[in-house]
Amino acid sequence: MSNVNDLSTLLESVSFDWNTLGIVFALLGAVLAALMGGIGSAIGVGMTGQAAAGVVTEDPGKFGKVLVLQLLPGTQGIYGLLIGFVTLTQIGILGGSADVSLAKGLLYLAGCLPMAIVGMISAKWQAKASVSSIALVAKKPDQFGKAMIFPAMVETYAVLALLISILSIASIGGLNL
Amino acid sequence: MAVLKMKRMSVYALKTHRKAILELLQRKGVLEIDTPKKAQPLFEKTDTGSARQTFEKNVRTLTQAAALLDSVSPPAKGLPAVLRGREPITGERYRQTVDAAGDTARLASRILALGKRMDDGKAEAQRCAAGLEALEPWLPLDISMRSIGTEKTSVFIGSFPEALTAGEIQSRLAAALPQVPAVEVEVISSGTSQTCVFAVCHGRYGLQVESALRAMGFTYPASPPRLPPGERAKELTRQRDEALADAEAARQELCSLADRRQELLFAADYYAMRAEKYRVLGDLWQSPHVFQVTGYVPAEDAEALGRALEEDFGACVELRDPREDEDPPVKLKNGPLAAPVEGVVEGYSLPGRQETDPAPVVALFYYVLFGLMLSDAAYGLLMVLGCGLILLKFKNIEESLRKSLTMFLFCGISTTFWGVLFGSYFGDAIPVIARTFFHTEITVPAVWFVPLDDPMRLLLFSFLLGILHLFTGLGVQAYLLIRRKRFADALYDTVFWYFLVGGLILLLLSTEMFRNMMSLSFTLPGWVGTTAAVFAGVGAVGIVLTAGRESKNPGKRLLKGLYGLYNISGYLSDILSYSRLLALGLATGVIANVFNQLGSMLGGGVGGAIFFTVAFVIGHTMNLAINVLGAYVHTNRLQYVEFFGKFYEGGGRKFQPFAAHTKTFKFTEEK
Repeated sequence: MSNVNDLSTLLESVSFDWNTLGIVFALLGAVLAALMGGIGSAIGVGMTGQAAAGVVTEDPGKFGKVLVLQLLPGTQGIYGLLIGFVTLTQIGILGGSADVSLAKGLLYLAGCLPMAIVGMISAKWQAKASVSSIALVAKKPDQFGKAMIFPAMVETYAVLALLISILSIASIGGLNL
Repeated sequence: MAVLKMKRMSVYALKTHRKAILELLQRKGVLEIDTPKKAQPLFEKTDTGSARQTFEKNVRTLTQAAALLDSVSPPAKGLPAVLRGREPITGERYRQTVDAAGDTARLASRILALGKRMDDGKAEAQRCAAGLEALEPWLPLDISMRSIGTEKTSVFIGSFPEALTAGEIQSRLAAALPQVPAVEVEVISSGTSQTCVFAVCHGRYGLQVESALRAMGFTYPASPPRLPPGERAKELTRQRDEALADAEAARQELCSLADRRQELLFAADYYAMRAEKYRVLGDLWQSPHVFQVTGYVPAEDAEALGRALEEDFGACVELRDPREDEDPPVKLKNGPLAAPVEGVVEGYSLPGRQETDPAPVVALFYYVLFGLMLSDAAYGLLMVLGCGLILLKFKNIEESLRKSLTMFLFCGISTTFWGVLFGSYFGDAIPVIARTFFHTEITVPAVWFVPLDDPMRLLLFSFLLGILHLFTGLGVQAYLLIRRKRFADALYDTVFWYFLVGGLILLLLSTEMFRNMMSLSFTLPGWVGTTAAVFAGVGAVGIVLTAGRESKNPGKRLLKGLYGLYNISGYLSDILSYSRLLALGLATGVIANVFNQLGSMLGGGVGGAIFFTVAFVIGHTMNLAINVLGAYVHTNRLQYVEFFGKFYEGGGRKFQPFAAHTKTFKFTEEK
């Protein structure tokens, strides 16, 4: 009997306000979006840059065209930054309301995940499509318009993820949790 | 405003006028040569390959010579060639170039020879310098390095691969050959890894001493000069100086020729034109006295060209419409608003037979979509200013570049328009600057609304714009079908889809759930929903019944019809795809805000202002560049995939007339 009493007083003495963790999870989400989008784009732009440099050694005149193709997988990093930034402005780190409960924090985290995960993976695969398109432009420069579309197709899914992330993050603040 | 009508032109003329006629055609540049595979008897082709090769070789020599002149005396850094464009020249200047072409080609050969002399001189000087360096350790020796001794003595001149003194060598020799008296050793020079020595002994012991020396690591120098090192060094120095002087003289002469660079390039262009002319000539059918030119010419130019040929050269000109089995090339012609996006259409594919030029419809949406994706008034103004200045200042730029710039100019105007609607000027730069440096709150009101505050609204608007875009595409499809009098197809392939998609959208709008989801304020009366449902039903049934109309078998037909109905998912994804308008529009604004925020981090004051300016300039330049690229790529994508998917196939061949494809000059039309 006395043991149980001890335990409950112990618990009371270390009572922990779980809601303080809210902002931690929210920031985790913001950081993940910027982090994973950035990683994906860095890998992607790196891959395409190598291919583009190869083409330019043969024909410097194609620089403009391959540069466009190189930059295509770079947008995921920007989308990640965007989600990260909007989250920061919502959770009181860069303005906004600092009142982030645990539930809201986790919601922010969840809201950031589409951009983080899809951003990273789509950037890499978009880069692969882009590398092939660079090879296409190297052989047939007049097919640039088509070459640009193949990587842009992959980007659709990053755009959709961005959309869901931004819609969630913009609305979480208004929830009563 | 559309695809230019092509005529097929056949010209028969006397060979005496051949040169003049070909030159006229080349200068006009409106006829694409397309020689028939077969000709009447008597007509034959001549081989012009060797003449053409000579001209092409001349082009190479001339361009190489010009490049050499550039490397010797780089021309003053002026405008990039892209902006400068090709120099327009008059007929007189052209005739001068033609008359001087032979001399210019010889000049080019001389320039190349001078270049070779310069390179040879430099190489020779380098060789002498290397020889001098190798001779360096032997310089104190005052006899020839080839000396092997006199009548009574043996002389050894060579080196050891280590640092040694005369004493050390002598004591080692004494240890190795105790029976040999007096070997005189003199160290000529000594370094850490080489000691050059002169040794002399009595001729009788020559062989013994030599083998003892070799055992110690002694080697003879490789290819010793005949002269003593000192004299040889003088000779090498003289040779080196001569070679350098020769190279310098050649360089000077090249420099003095630098101002003839333009002449060389002109002549190169002239020979390139002649090569092109001979290529065409080799392709023509010719009888002993008559030759025949056949090809496609835009109908609007056909009349004038035909008359010129008939009147000036007494040629016989036939004009007719292309037959079904022929493949006329495609040339687009559009008004000032639509012409700039011809490049976009061409990037996909030129319109095929039976298709119209989509450029006018593409243009309309292109500017709107691009502007919505970039949507910042300041960025838009920057684009307008940049493109406008280049267009105003450099009249001479190539046509394709002019079109691209004009396109971005219009895109910039649209961007400004949307930016004002959304209240974005460098993002939120104005409020941030006011707050940071002047401690006042200014809000720049959006004429419509701020997307970041109400993304749902912009999303809906994007979808609406998308539906409009897609329906326009479908409308073009209907127009094409009706023009070809396929009214039933127009009904089956477009009207039913209008019913189905339009009906479904209205039905969706009339449901309570969707209105709540999108927080729409209006309610549609009940009958709208019912009517919409009826229309959607008619459309769906119509599609199921007609989509498989090519199959005779009713079962197969029904299955194909159902599969056709499944295309509705395509419409769904097409419409959703327009959400990128929102995403990219937000991206521009938010990243601009990020840079503004970053810049204002040091607060007000001079330091803060400097930091803000730097962050502002770098950040917004980057943002503008990346987002213009993004808007360009995604506008193209919406046009190519979503819009063209509804009606456009392409597959046309580009009109490539026989013309003067020059690099440096261009003809101005002589009146």
